[in-house]
Amino acid sequence: MRWLCDFLNSSIGKKISVGLAGLFLCGFVVPHLLGNLLLFVGMAQFNAYAHFLQANPLTPAAELGLLALFLLHGTVALWARWQNWRARPVGYDTVASKGGRTIGSRTMTYTAFLVLAFLILHVAMFKYGWGSAFHDEELFQRVMDFFRNPWIAGGYALALIGLGLHLSHGFESAFQTLGVNHPKYTPFIKVLGVLFAVAVAGAFAAIPIWACFLGGAK
Amino acid sequence: MSLKLDAGIPDGPVDKKWDKHRFALKLVNPANKRKFDVIVVGTGLAGASAAASLAELGYNVKVFCIQDSPRRAHSIAAQGGINAAKNYPNDGDSVWRLFYDTVKGGDYRAREANVYRLAQVSNAIIDQCVAQGVPFARDYGGALDNRSFGGAQVSRTFFARGQTGQQLLLGAYSALMRQAGKKQVQVFPRREMVELVVVDGAARGIVTRDLTTGRLESHAAHAVLLCTGGYGNAFYLSTNANSCNVGAAWLAYKKGAGFANPCFTQIHPTCIPQSGEHQAKLTLMSESLRNDGRVWVPKKKGDNRAPGQIPEAERDYYLERKYPTFGNLVPRDVASRAAKQMIDEGRGVGRTGLAVYLDFADAIKRQGQAKITEKYGNLFDMYHHLTAEDPYRAPMRIYPAVHYTMGGLWVDYNLMTTIPGLFCLGEANFSDHGANRLGASALMQGLADGYFIIPYTLGGFFASSKLAKVDTSHPAFKEAEQSAAGRTQRLLSIKGKRTPVSFHKELGTLMWNNCGMGRSETGLKEALAKIPAIREEFWKNVVVTGSGAEFNQTLERAARVADYLEFSELLVRDALERRESCGGHFREESQTPEGEAKRDDANFSHATVWEHAGEGKPPIENREKLEFKDVVPSQRSYA
Amino acid sequence: MNAQEKTMDVTLRVWRQKGPDQPGRFVSYAAKGVTPEMSFFEALDTINEGLVAKGEDAIAFDHDCREGICGTCCLTIEGQPHGPDQAATGCQLHMRAYKDGDAITIEPFRARAFPVIKDLVVDRSALDRVMASGGFVSVNTGSAGEANAILVPKDKAEAAMDAAACIGCGACVAACPNASAMLFVSAKVSQFALLPQGGPERDRRVLAMQRQMDLEGFGNCSNEGECEAVCPKEVKLANIARLNREYIRAMFWSHEVHPKVDLEGQEE
Repeated sequence: MRWLCDFLNSSIGKKISVGLAGLFLCGFVVPHLLGNLLLFVGMAQFNAYAHFLQANPLTPAAELGLLALFLLHGTVALWARWQNWRARPVGYDTVASKGGRTIGSRTMTYTAFLVLAFLILHVAMFKYGWGSAFHDEELFQRVMDFFRNPWIAGGYALALIGLGLHLSHGFESAFQTLGVNHPKYTPFIKVLGVLFAVAVAGAFAAIPIWACFLGGAK
Repeated sequence: MSLKLDAGIPDGPVDKKWDKHRFALKLVNPANKRKFDVIVVGTGLAGASAAASLAELGYNVKVFCIQDSPRRAHSIAAQGGINAAKNYPNDGDSVWRLFYDTVKGGDYRAREANVYRLAQVSNAIIDQCVAQGVPFARDYGGALDNRSFGGAQVSRTFFARGQTGQQLLLGAYSALMRQAGKKQVQVFPRREMVELVVVDGAARGIVTRDLTTGRLESHAAHAVLLCTGGYGNAFYLSTNANSCNVGAAWLAYKKGAGFANPCFTQIHPTCIPQSGEHQAKLTLMSESLRNDGRVWVPKKKGDNRAPGQIPEAERDYYLERKYPTFGNLVPRDVASRAAKQMIDEGRGVGRTGLAVYLDFADAIKRQGQAKITEKYGNLFDMYHHLTAEDPYRAPMRIYPAVHYTMGGLWVDYNLMTTIPGLFCLGEANFSDHGANRLGASALMQGLADGYFIIPYTLGGFFASSKLAKVDTSHPAFKEAEQSAAGRTQRLLSIKGKRTPVSFHKELGTLMWNNCGMGRSETGLKEALAKIPAIREEFWKNVVVTGSGAEFNQTLERAARVADYLEFSELLVRDALERRESCGGHFREESQTPEGEAKRDDANFSHATVWEHAGEGKPPIENREKLEFKDVVPSQRSYA
Repeated sequence: MNAQEKTMDVTLRVWRQKGPDQPGRFVSYAAKGVTPEMSFFEALDTINEGLVAKGEDAIAFDHDCREGICGTCCLTIEGQPHGPDQAATGCQLHMRAYKDGDAITIEPFRARAFPVIKDLVVDRSALDRVMASGGFVSVNTGSAGEANAILVPKDKAEAAMDAAACIGCGACVAACPNASAMLFVSAKVSQFALLPQGGPERDRRVLAMQRQMDLEGFGNCSNEGECEAVCPKEVKLANIARLNREYIRAMFWSHEVHPKVDLEGQEE
């Protein structure tokens, strides 16, 4: 199994791990988003969906898997980042991009930490009811309670813009990492990446904005 | 006459000589090869290919280069292509025709046997390079593509866009690095050879200066291969890279190696003209451009209208006019001289008046811009970068510049110099191009020497010589190190007022004016009188800053200029002694009524081989008579 | 000659560093009477001539062919490796890119794998060692078959040539925010992956070159694309994708494993 260690240790292996885990996480984000959008449909439907998940015996396993993916994605990326930082001990006095970098790619590390902080709070608040006045309310109620607070709603929206930036580079980058770069398809993947980032960030952020500022939580 | 100049050409018909010789050469037992150490100086096409091939055979190879990596040798800048007698286009080419064209193109001043061998191995070079993964141009069927090049009437030139030299060099470099990875070759980058060590009359090692630390290092071996390129930088402005120099060859000359035909220098007709006094080097534009570009000047003197304003009827397409058969594709020396004539007549163009036009308007009209881009895109881009002019819209301005040197260390058929154990390959030797090199033949010669000749002849030398054990503890190494250190010290201690570059410029200007495209007895004698004066001032008034124990580019330059100040005197002397015109050597006293070069076969059908007679003494002239049995010399005519 | 030349004065702010282990700093030099036709390096030459004539140490900088093909030059000019021109090396940059009064900062290529030797000169032998680990086709001289026995589709040959155009200057490393050498390595891997000649050892090659690249201390690629933007020979990011593909193929489909680390071999 030396080869597997070698793989994880190699620069390309690391980026493949990060990219692949990232794509799986993108795969998680889509059903999660669709489920959340039930908030707009109605309290009953949303709570039914929440009950279904809570009662499903596969959910803990899925959660563990998700956690593993996050850990893999985050730790390997951080490890690579540390190596990258070491790869240039003396920096430039003047730096001027000649093209290539985007806001998304420049801010990957920052948006990563923003998203991480957000996730910790997100799970603590909605899964474990941290900061909630009650502990036995229906999930719909809990969401609306939290989002009535404009600070929480605003913070959520901000973090989701961070996620969008992260995805704007990450999505397309994962394909490049997996070797999918072809003059016929790459322009399509690039557009898809941006659309995906905008759609995910926008749709997620719509919930707190609607709840707090557009009277959804009334 | 004191040098023994036995070329060792095998008997028999020219087309059987190399086969016969290869069989006659003794072999080194495979198990014994690892007992032989070989030093290769230079990693251009000749050096890299030789080092890789010898290492593959099992010899221990040490390879040295002046650049920071073997991949940067100046072969990398060759653009046009490499010739071979494959006859893929079915247009009548053959080994014999390539041989014939090369001897004729060299104006009958090359050795027939060497040239034939070159033509013979040319095909194997293409096979080898393709196998290495050199991405030659191909047609839609996937087969190799050819083009005609520089005066050839068959399409025998293989090319990789306008970067053939780069791709061939990277092929040889990759073979070299493969051996470096196997530890069969040790690579020493950023090293300059500063002494040749001769023990018991044989070359047994070198002393190098580590250019990053200044440390002198001794290396012993059973044979030394100089693959150190040409001496075009004696003219200061040339298309050669900054680090190209005559140093190694000059050290060998001073240790007893004969230097042949130094006056045979090639002036390339299609370079980007000088733009001002500050210019540090000139840039070549591949002569493949002449396949589609038309050369012209205004008919009227001093016509300084923009090229587009000059109507067709007032243009003089002088190459097409003077040489209707070959037109724009006449050989390099002819094209260069014709340009000089136009400029001397006052019909030069551009801001300085030192240029002629190379016009693609017709080609673009006929073939479309896309086709022209496909063929010459990178050259057009390069021109655009350097001049900020768009050659798709306005004609290029070109001017001749020193480009290649056919002269070099004299070698026998085995590529060995007059010092046993010292071999010389590629542009650094004199053997194959006579007085003028044909386009796309330099790459061919460098690789022929390295891949297919030296692996045989070096084995023959080892197998038939008794070489005593010599290592770097031998007193000769100590002596050599001291002499090198002394020279550095001498340069550093002058602390004068003028920079090494200013001397180089002064020398170069003199050389270009008096020993460039046109050479006359008066001009040459004047140069011969002036060079020692410049040299004397150099040794009194040069300033070299810094120390010898560090990375010091000023010191490197000073040492090279010092070599040129000695060497160029030999070049001029050779030009003076050769009272005929041939190839790149044009003596104004010897021309036909039409102003073409006129050879004097009765008196000059020989290679002049100069021998060092000691410091301050005039060199001794030796001659190797050239015999032409298979290609009968005729007056070259391209009309 | 006859026309009055326009000249300008610029200030060059240059990184000076005596030796590998010495501290460096910026020193400003005035370049007066610079003409637009002058190359950037000729402006540096002019300053150096002045320095040497005054008995001061010239600014050390690497350069050789001065026509954009040898890959020797390695200056970062105003934060951009090789300067502002697209698809050009530093030696092809001309002073017409600047105007009177400009101050221009010049630094060496910066990366741990490229230690500074002096001033603006860096040691890029790491790239040679990567090549020695696998950047070749194992064919001995003399053992090649007839050249036209290997047919290569024109589009493949052209793509291989696009990759092979790499001049090994290291600007990709210098421009990469992570000092990664992926574009360099991918150019060589791609050239051979695209050609039938490279087929037999493609798995071995990619694993070996990848390993050596990592050992040299280059950073990890994060697909930023700065390398592609700065490459003087326009080597494309698609080559990095191909390198990734080759790596995946070698790792998961072939029997090859990473070559064992030869620590001896690491020591120069």
